[in-house]
Amino acid sequence: MVNENLVKDVVKEPYKYGFVTDIETEKIEKGLNEDIIKLISQKKEEPRFLLDFRLQAFKKWQKMKEPDWAALGYKKIDYQDIIYYSAPKQKEKISSLDEVDPKLLETFDKLGIPLTEQKKLTNVAVDAVFDSVSIATTFREELAEHGVIFCSISEAVKNHADLIEKYLGTVVPASDNYFAALNSAVFSDGSFVYIPKGVTCPMDLSSYFRINSGDSGQFERTLIIAEESSSVSYLEGCTAPMFDTNTLHAAVVELIALDDASIKYSTVQNWYAGDEEGVGGIFNFVTKRGKCLGKRSKISWSQVETGSAITWKYPSCLLLGEESVGEFYSVALTNNLQQADTGTKMIHIGPKTKSTIVSKGISAGNSKNSYRGLVKMGTKATGSRNYSQCDSMLIGDQASANTFPYIKSQQPNSEIEHEASTCRISEDQLFYLQSRGIEFEEAVSMMVSGFCRDVFNQLPMEFAAEADKLLALKLEGSVG
Amino acid sequence: MEIIEKIKTNKSIDNQTEIQKICLDKLQSSPLPNPRSEQWRLSNKSKLSNFLDYSVNENNSKFDIPYPKNSESNIRLIIGENCQIKLIEKNYSIRQLSEDELQKYIKEQISCFNQNENWSDLLNLSLSCKNNILGLKINGSKIPPIEIFSYASSNSLNAKTLIIFLEKNCNVELLQVNLGEDTSSLSQSTFFYLEENSSLNHGVVSYGVNKSNLLNSLNVIQQKNSKYNLGSLHFKFNYARFEIRIKQSEGNAKTNIKGMQITKKDEQISTYTKIDFDGPNGFLDQINKSLADDKSHAIFEGSIIVPKIAQKTDASQLSRNLLLSNRAQIDTKPQLEIIADDVKCKHGATISQLNEEELFYMRTRGITLTEASKLQLSSYFQEIISFIPVSKDRWDLLDKLLNEN
Repeated sequence: MVNENLVKDVVKEPYKYGFVTDIETEKIEKGLNEDIIKLISQKKEEPRFLLDFRLQAFKKWQKMKEPDWAALGYKKIDYQDIIYYSAPKQKEKISSLDEVDPKLLETFDKLGIPLTEQKKLTNVAVDAVFDSVSIATTFREELAEHGVIFCSISEAVKNHADLIEKYLGTVVPASDNYFAALNSAVFSDGSFVYIPKGVTCPMDLSSYFRINSGDSGQFERTLIIAEESSSVSYLEGCTAPMFDTNTLHAAVVELIALDDASIKYSTVQNWYAGDEEGVGGIFNFVTKRGKCLGKRSKISWSQVETGSAITWKYPSCLLLGEESVGEFYSVALTNNLQQADTGTKMIHIGPKTKSTIVSKGISAGNSKNSYRGLVKMGTKATGSRNYSQCDSMLIGDQASANTFPYIKSQQPNSEIEHEASTCRISEDQLFYLQSRGIEFEEAVSMMVSGFCRDVFNQLPMEFAAEADKLLALKLEGSVG
Repeated sequence: MEIIEKIKTNKSIDNQTEIQKICLDKLQSSPLPNPRSEQWRLSNKSKLSNFLDYSVNENNSKFDIPYPKNSESNIRLIIGENCQIKLIEKNYSIRQLSEDELQKYIKEQISCFNQNENWSDLLNLSLSCKNNILGLKINGSKIPPIEIFSYASSNSLNAKTLIIFLEKNCNVELLQVNLGEDTSSLSQSTFFYLEENSSLNHGVVSYGVNKSNLLNSLNVIQQKNSKYNLGSLHFKFNYARFEIRIKQSEGNAKTNIKGMQITKKDEQISTYTKIDFDGPNGFLDQINKSLADDKSHAIFEGSIIVPKIAQKTDASQLSRNLLLSNRAQIDTKPQLEIIADDVKCKHGATISQLNEEELFYMRTRGITLTEASKLQLSSYFQEIISFIPVSKDRWDLLDKLLNEN
């Protein structure tokens, strides 16, 4: 018989990124109205079109209702009680990393993100976002040699306004949903990536998001454009300090892939999840969507979701181009009182499009973990295919696992397959491993890692190892 | 929406019974289901309003059952027509539920109704007059197969209710046939209560003619060690909705469901199932098939709910769909909600057209395309049809379906 307490003990590792950086920040007052939006826009010295975009989004947002269809329960958010702009104070514009406040660099060091020159050994370019602004982007020159633009979105607004104006809001329109509209109105920073025609990005690009203040929300916006025959792999990581209040994070990510282009977007989300009683933690309401515009283009989402008190996230693919491919690989782990409603949407519009969904949910403690996905075959999607697989693992008898797949087909010459299963850690397997001298906790962690293998295989090397470790840590103390 | 207007003013029926009053009251404040709710969001609004456009018919004209002829070994009942039955034989007894028993049971049921989920039942019970409610209590074994007919006549809305109690250790084969005439609406609500160790092989065959509409709701409560098998078939309705709600109230029960819906022209037929496991060791095996042709729309939504108490539940649900036309549409949503950890639950769904390789194989063997398609369809249908009790020997359902397609 598996010892319930032991399993519970396996999920209890304290959150190690919960420290606060004591740094002087510039914040605007709480609340949301047109003036605040104008102020944000002014602070960022934005062109007129962007201010209009924000104001229009704000108008739409005011008319919208917060969605309540997800299997989530949380206290009502007071949108007037949030600071919509917070930035670490910097005296002058910085031209090199040496001028960045050492405290900030230290923070990212602590998080394991090397920003300083001497530590830039790994072949990954990093854009680090601290509260509302991007503080540093590494490897810029090397990337520029290949024509790759990788910078914060505020810089892109100044230096590449044409691209921003052309693509911003084309994948996730401002009126798409409540949180996307909110983000469109108040987004502060984020990353911008442009891969020119025929270029394979020479290194992995990475953004690191850090929420530092407890009363400000984080609203970043990421836009990635892959021109014809280009390819890029992009990684995203997130952490936040421990506060006993809930912090709102409403991001928008837009990906655009033209003919033969491929974008791989990987996320390891480890926002603070709140304590065991469910106090504090990040509310993570994210809209991520990719548009496969070109023929044979490919967008692949992989995510490891372990943090956040509430996760509401459905990275999606619009498959427009002929023979375009969408992929979604996800591991969502919830523990204690965490709630996650996550999944994907694969909208097949063009002919011969293909999509694959592999989702693994692990729920422990008193948490709630739901997969919600949509697969839709439009009338023109002849010869298209989808394969979905959703597996849930339950640890303990208080956790819940739900599956809500919506499947819609209007094209007879297409195939959709969906399968889902729910299980728990098999006692036989545990017994077997233990009888071979493997410690109980290690055995559980091995089995969880095996359960998630299909997804981890899709993550870039460094991330896969990190994700595996993260999961083991998160589960420490919960399996029994 | 004649009915709804009447419900709003609470004047739809003279001589209201107590049950009718309760249901009308419940409907008065919000007479229609919420079109944004999960259960009704895909339902075609104009077709539903068409369903409600007829006036209620409480009188039952004499109805000739089309076919087949009744065999002597069967018990045949027509709701509304010959509701009087009392059979006490050596091995079994079938008697009508008393007024009090009926009232008590229906009231109990209504008290746990949810406005959106049980809207069809609320409508049914508010319109169904005494004559159109058939309540039976069945006891014993070696009971001859029972056939129960519900029938809707042209240009009217007909509400029929069936309530059956199966006493302990009782074993019954029952075929329910719902027939709709041209331009008719039938609201059929069925309630089964299966006591310990009882078993019910239930078949539901519903078919209409042009412009027939059907709201068919089935509520089953299973006590422990009971076994419930359902084979169902719905076709030829302009608008049909089949709602199945099964509750294994103490667990340790078995449920097998095999259902099929076939849509053509611009029909819409949907199946909603909700299986509640309220105790441990429950078992469910469910398969639902849809076939959509022309401009039609087939919908399946199935949810399986496994709370903490339902440890060692073994549930599987499969939705298999054939989409045969460019303009047809299929929506399917198998759904699992699980809290217990020691369970085996799985679901699957597929949507495709006829298997081309198999068709090609048959054609290389000299079988024409039409014949080959028929062969494939017949194997697709056969799995469900063979599960429908009573009918399979005497009703030529397969031929009927193949000729239609």
